[in-house]
Amino acid sequence: MIKKVQRDELIVPVTFILFSIICFFLSGISFLFLAEQVSLRFIRNIILVLALIFPIMAGMGLNFAVVIGTMITQACFIIVLNFNITGGKGAGTVLIVSLAAAAGVGYIIGRLLNKVRGREMVTSIVVGFLANYIYQLIFVAGFGTVIHVFNKKLVLSTGIGVKNMVDLKTFKEVFDNLGVFSIGEAKVSMLLLAMILVCGSFVFYLMHTPLGQKIKAVGMSEEKAANIGIDTDRVRIIVIVLSTVFAALGQFVYLQNIGSLNVYTEHLDTEKFACAALLAGGASIRKAGVKNAFIGVVLLHTLFVLSPLAGRNTFANASLGEYFRSFVAYGIIAFALVVNLRLEQKEES
Amino acid sequence: MGEYVLEVRNLEKYYGQNKVLDNVNLSVRKGEIYGLIGANGSGKSTFMNILFGNSVISGTGGYKGEILFEGKSVQIRSTTEAIRRGIGMIYQEFMLIPEMTVAENIKLTRENTKNIFGKILKHNLSFVDRKMDEKEAEGVLEQLGFEIDNTYLVKNISVNAKQFVEIAREVNREDIKLLLLDEPTAVLNDEDAGKLMRVLKELAQKGTSIIFCTHRLHEICEVCDHVTVLRDGRVVSDYEKEDLDMRTLAKDMIGYDVAAVKKQHKNQEKKEILTFQDFSVHMPGEFLDRLNLDVYQGEILGLTSLSGHGKLAAGYGVMGQFSVTGSLFCEGGKVDVKDVRKTIAKGIFLLPDDRKNMGLLLEHSVRDNIIFSGYYGRNLFQKKAGGFFPVKDKKEIERYVQEQIEKLDIKCESPDQKVKELSGGNQQKVCIARAVLVAPKILFVMEPTRGVDIGAKEKILDMLVQINREHGTTIVAASSELEELKRISDRIAVLCEGKLSCILPPEASDEEFAFAFTGEEEEDGQ
Repeated sequence: MIKKVQRDELIVPVTFILFSIICFFLSGISFLFLAEQVSLRFIRNIILVLALIFPIMAGMGLNFAVVIGTMITQACFIIVLNFNITGGKGAGTVLIVSLAAAAGVGYIIGRLLNKVRGREMVTSIVVGFLANYIYQLIFVAGFGTVIHVFNKKLVLSTGIGVKNMVDLKTFKEVFDNLGVFSIGEAKVSMLLLAMILVCGSFVFYLMHTPLGQKIKAVGMSEEKAANIGIDTDRVRIIVIVLSTVFAALGQFVYLQNIGSLNVYTEHLDTEKFACAALLAGGASIRKAGVKNAFIGVVLLHTLFVLSPLAGRNTFANASLGEYFRSFVAYGIIAFALVVNLRLEQKEES
Repeated sequence: MGEYVLEVRNLEKYYGQNKVLDNVNLSVRKGEIYGLIGANGSGKSTFMNILFGNSVISGTGGYKGEILFEGKSVQIRSTTEAIRRGIGMIYQEFMLIPEMTVAENIKLTRENTKNIFGKILKHNLSFVDRKMDEKEAEGVLEQLGFEIDNTYLVKNISVNAKQFVEIAREVNREDIKLLLLDEPTAVLNDEDAGKLMRVLKELAQKGTSIIFCTHRLHEICEVCDHVTVLRDGRVVSDYEKEDLDMRTLAKDMIGYDVAAVKKQHKNQEKKEILTFQDFSVHMPGEFLDRLNLDVYQGEILGLTSLSGHGKLAAGYGVMGQFSVTGSLFCEGGKVDVKDVRKTIAKGIFLLPDDRKNMGLLLEHSVRDNIIFSGYYGRNLFQKKAGGFFPVKDKKEIERYVQEQIEKLDIKCESPDQKVKELSGGNQQKVCIARAVLVAPKILFVMEPTRGVDIGAKEKILDMLVQINREHGTTIVAASSELEELKRISDRIAVLCEGKLSCILPPEASDEEFAFAFTGEEEEDGQ
């Protein structure tokens, strides 16, 4: 039985590696280019994926509501720009405000998810949608009407609604001038890298504290945890707060590295790709670790970099790769859910 | 011995309309082992849950009365609070996390930590010292006289070992003042139970008070300093150690009351209608172990045991609800229990104990519930509209439903009232009306009178006897209410730990039943 479980865990990563190898030869690109692209995307994405680990450990499944954390960071960037705070001061303000706001919102989401025990995943998806439309409403209709515009460059020519694209160069420059090193063409800021390392070790560390033990206990059996004297409601809220804060931080690193913000679409589907990455790394909706996140992000993005190129070379159609990406992302989420169900049934019998 | 650690005064607890604890008073001294015994439904578990602040209690409206802990009046609102006050509990069904190791389980919420970052981070956020935990866990287990590699995952260790891990977890707490044990020896063999008794005595000597619930009477007599017997939520009797006697305890536990009305036993020829052969049912929490039993045509067979000892499993096994080994014969033909449709077609029908989830369509009307099985299973009440299309014969349904409502005295506003709005007793009557309509050959009823008030109880029992007499239906009634079974049954099969303990006539004495329940041998060779 134990061997069987391990094999189930390995199916997804192995499939990914096989696909990637095939695509690598079909695409005909150099290994250096691949390494450059993958490491860049790895830096942009890893923290968001780490954000998903806590809720899985606590038995709450994939927290699709991490998308809310990403929206909070985006909103903070726009608002800070609106007040014309630029450079290092601006970046710092964004970081502090967004993390604080994410903690607050995380608390509310946590309370909500405590009310819908057993249906956390579906609820988190719906809450994510709801937040998305509130977000759009604020920036399409709120700016220039309810919210006073200090920075005219942000809004459309009508004076109402934020532009599609917002330039974040002023913030990017701060990090680009701090201990930069390059992988191929891509430049990577040491500061961002340090943040990632800190986050990774933080998750690992937390899982080895008494709080981590409590989170695991709650994840394995809430009823038993409660009877041992663990305040399960509180643990679950802590978990969601951490998850949302990590998501906000993840989006901060991501935008910082890209240097521009696609106001209305940047956050879309980020949560699904993050989930896909974690699952690609061999996690399930019951079990996940830092290891799964790191491996998963590398595997998923290798495939994402390669598949459009492979598609172009083989079928003379680059857009095929785009479809393939979505297919892969949703496919593995569905697959992971099915595998999980099977494991659960096996455990029961 | 010293002062009282726990004093309980006038404790009362209702579950809905049912009074499960009535004016309970008891006091536990420091360092005393206090025995608490009673049959199922006597309120033992409820009492323990109140003391341990289980959420079941606050979720059902709390309790009345006063609890004094170490001389101070306290309100225990949550498990966390109970633990903070120094109360520990060992459950009958284990509260261990299966995916964690033995050591992790023992030290959960009380981990040793290394202070990597000095004193800045509190306990919750410092690094767990795994080695230290394992060492301590080993120490505790050694103290209990139980050896096991504490790096094993709990899910892989035996039931016996789990019980010791669970005990080790509580014993490891330095601040423990009162330890509650709910049937801790139910899963232990005699040798291990003996070890546990020794540990309890040691603990008590160190000054920990213990409340010990069990149905193994000899254990109670062995270790307890004071015993209280609960029956139907009331304190029936109190004994000091010197006055303990298994026979009196058994009597007190079951009660003296002998039923007033009894079923007239028919002298019938014994013709097997249903035969169980090595019939095992893997029902979680109610394991039935290789049952060999003949059910005779036209009889009412009572089936009883303490909860969790298998009385419900037989019926559910026959209806294919759980995985089953062994074989079942109905009137000579083998029954494939997996094919429930065929089983029902053979005339076997079951009324489940979990009425709300399994026995009723809660959102539907009384009428729909009564005719459901008959209409959909047996194609009753059908007429041909225009000579072709089968439709419901509404007039006939109305007449029948009205008749049943009157006959069974179902208290409802109208046949259209939703079943979920009825009381438990009336819901059960609806179930019975449904069964009557199908006119089964063999009827399994599970806990027919659970959660039912006295008036309805009589009606239901009466109805069962009536079905048996008028339709010749063979009835297998599984119930923990021994008195009721005695009144209606021709024979009573008693199960203990999943095995058939013995089959007794309903006239058998209370002692005989008490011994059969606990699987104890009678000492003086009677």
